[in-house]
Amino acid sequence: MLREIFARLSTQPEVQERNRRLLRALSIPLALVVCGLAPAGSAAELLPAPPGSDAKEIARRAEDSLRSARTTLDASMTVVSPRLSAPRVVRFQSWEERDTKRSMVRILSPAKDAGTGFLKLHPNLWMFVPRVERTIRIPPSMMLQSWMGSDMTNDDLVKESSTLDDYTHTLLGLDPSPESNPELPAYVVEYIPNEDAPVVWGKIVAWIEQEYGTPLQQDFYDEDGSLLRRMQFSDVRAVGERRVPFRWSMTPLDKEGHSTTIEIESIVFDAEIEPAIFTKRNLRKARR
Amino acid sequence: MNLEWRLAWRNVWRNPRRTGLTVSATVFAVGLLVLMSALSTGMWEKIIDDSVSMGSGHVTLTGPNYLEERTLEEFTYLDAPLAARLEENPAVAGFAPRVNAFGLLSEADVTRGVMVIGVDPAAERTVSSLPDRIESGRFLEKGKTREIVLGGRLAEILGVKIGDQVLLYSVAYSLESAYDLFSVAGIMRLPNPSLDRGLALVSLADAQAFFVYGDRISEVAIRASEASASTALAEQLGSSLDPEKIEAHAWPEVMPDLAQTVVIDKLGMYMMLAILVIVVAFGIFNTILMAVLERKREFGVVLALGLRPRAIFRIVYFESILLAGVGLMLGLLVAIPGVLYLQANPIPLTNSEEMAAAFAMVGSDPVIYAKLIPENPIFSGLTILLVALLAAFYPAVRASRGKPVDVLRSL
Repeated sequence: MLREIFARLSTQPEVQERNRRLLRALSIPLALVVCGLAPAGSAAELLPAPPGSDAKEIARRAEDSLRSARTTLDASMTVVSPRLSAPRVVRFQSWEERDTKRSMVRILSPAKDAGTGFLKLHPNLWMFVPRVERTIRIPPSMMLQSWMGSDMTNDDLVKESSTLDDYTHTLLGLDPSPESNPELPAYVVEYIPNEDAPVVWGKIVAWIEQEYGTPLQQDFYDEDGSLLRRMQFSDVRAVGERRVPFRWSMTPLDKEGHSTTIEIESIVFDAEIEPAIFTKRNLRKARR
Repeated sequence: MNLEWRLAWRNVWRNPRRTGLTVSATVFAVGLLVLMSALSTGMWEKIIDDSVSMGSGHVTLTGPNYLEERTLEEFTYLDAPLAARLEENPAVAGFAPRVNAFGLLSEADVTRGVMVIGVDPAAERTVSSLPDRIESGRFLEKGKTREIVLGGRLAEILGVKIGDQVLLYSVAYSLESAYDLFSVAGIMRLPNPSLDRGLALVSLADAQAFFVYGDRISEVAIRASEASASTALAEQLGSSLDPEKIEAHAWPEVMPDLAQTVVIDKLGMYMMLAILVIVVAFGIFNTILMAVLERKREFGVVLALGLRPRAIFRIVYFESILLAGVGLMLGLLVAIPGVLYLQANPIPLTNSEEMAAAFAMVGSDPVIYAKLIPENPIFSGLTILLVALLAAFYPAVRASRGKPVDVLRSL
């Protein structure tokens, strides 16, 4: 399945080019690994995890602090890029129903994009562009393309894969003072995608607070084991019984000067969502 | 000297049947050498010309790093002084500024990722064969806005025809979403399948507005007056440009895969030709050796009469050169008109879908072209003559060596 996705992806000239670039970028780290000179990485400083800790359970707690069965949120996304004189800010609203893999995102601003909607009805992703009153089905080969010009991809938006079911979790150890929050020790969990999971990453390494299960950081690696991008979570606030990071920062490591930060303005867990939200009819209802 | 040549000529025709066989083998080999090298030259010239004229030209001017990244980030400009310099350069047959980007093209429920190229319709005609590949409708025109020209397969996949509106969606240089409706002006039929199902052309002005790109461009595609001078032209242009802003690349740099394929194919052909030459070499060697061995007695007698061994050596050598020379002349006489005929009348392979598919792989039309360049017959001739010289060495040594007494006694 993964190979299939890649085959489909690699028919896109841009992706082909990107893969070639990846290969080129990889050749030096690979040579280092072969020579046994690979940098030891942060894994070396980890403490052994306390006995009885279960990697999947830790992953589940991390997942639950960000998502629930039905979640709605308002957020703003700030894109920083060397080509922009001022950061681009996109505000949006999102509805998600986890079990049915349905979600809806509506852009609120800037004015040019207001009303643009994204609807995922598994396995399809639709986009509605109000200015031309057209609905576009975004093909699977486009999942790695930038979402709204940010460093997030369409795949990040629709979360086609489940961090619980589509990965095998291994506890690498306990980081006594993680970079992003040195006071609270964090588990370091490695997520390896299952054979036929719809995942484009080779692996994800996640830092998750030992005490509260709040995610701190996720490092995304490609299939050849080189670090492509890093997601950092901060501004942790209490929402009901949850401790939720309100600020998510994505930094692609192959593009200097680029970053994307999502700041949650309001979030409701276990919300009531009318089924009519997840319909193409609703998608086409642009609230401008 | 004159006598030696005459003797050699007579000796060659002492056994007309054997000589005739060797000469016809040489004729065949020379003919094949010339024909195959002409077909290979013609085929690659056509493939390269197709790739260059449907791609980025013989020489491409781009911003720094464009070839590695190929995104909107690596841009350059075609300012008036540069345009004037290109205009005046006699080695430049034409040039066209372009914006190359990536977009989603959508109609009804079908969406495809496509390569969007913004072209200046008039300039494009001086560089590219794309305007000639229109199958229905027409090419982009100056002054018409929001028109799009699609590859044939792409139009089929989207299910659109001339006059229909398609939605183009992408992310602009300013990182805003970019979307607009374009009306289909023309549909092209392109031999390269990935272009046929993934290429969309809009006007340069539309592309710059759509991608919020100002007067930036991705590349200037240049058609060289002389295709073989591409690399020299790239170096000449490159030396006068500011490398911080704009770089010149010859097509082998832009299409390294194609350049490598050409080299590999040529190597393969040279190996086959080498085998052919070796077979001819053994034919000549055999004929001369037989001719020498059966004249042992004769050589003994003339040596005894006082002819110098060196003269005998020369006579045998002249025989070999005459043998190869006659074969070579006849071979060229047959092959060159044949190749010239093929050059004037290319053979279209219209009936074979397999061949069409094979040519499509390299992005070319299924037509057999021959192209005679003087280097090829000259090279073939020199090779055959060299082979004749090498092949005659042992028989000639054999004939000229030995004391007359021993030779005569051994008979």
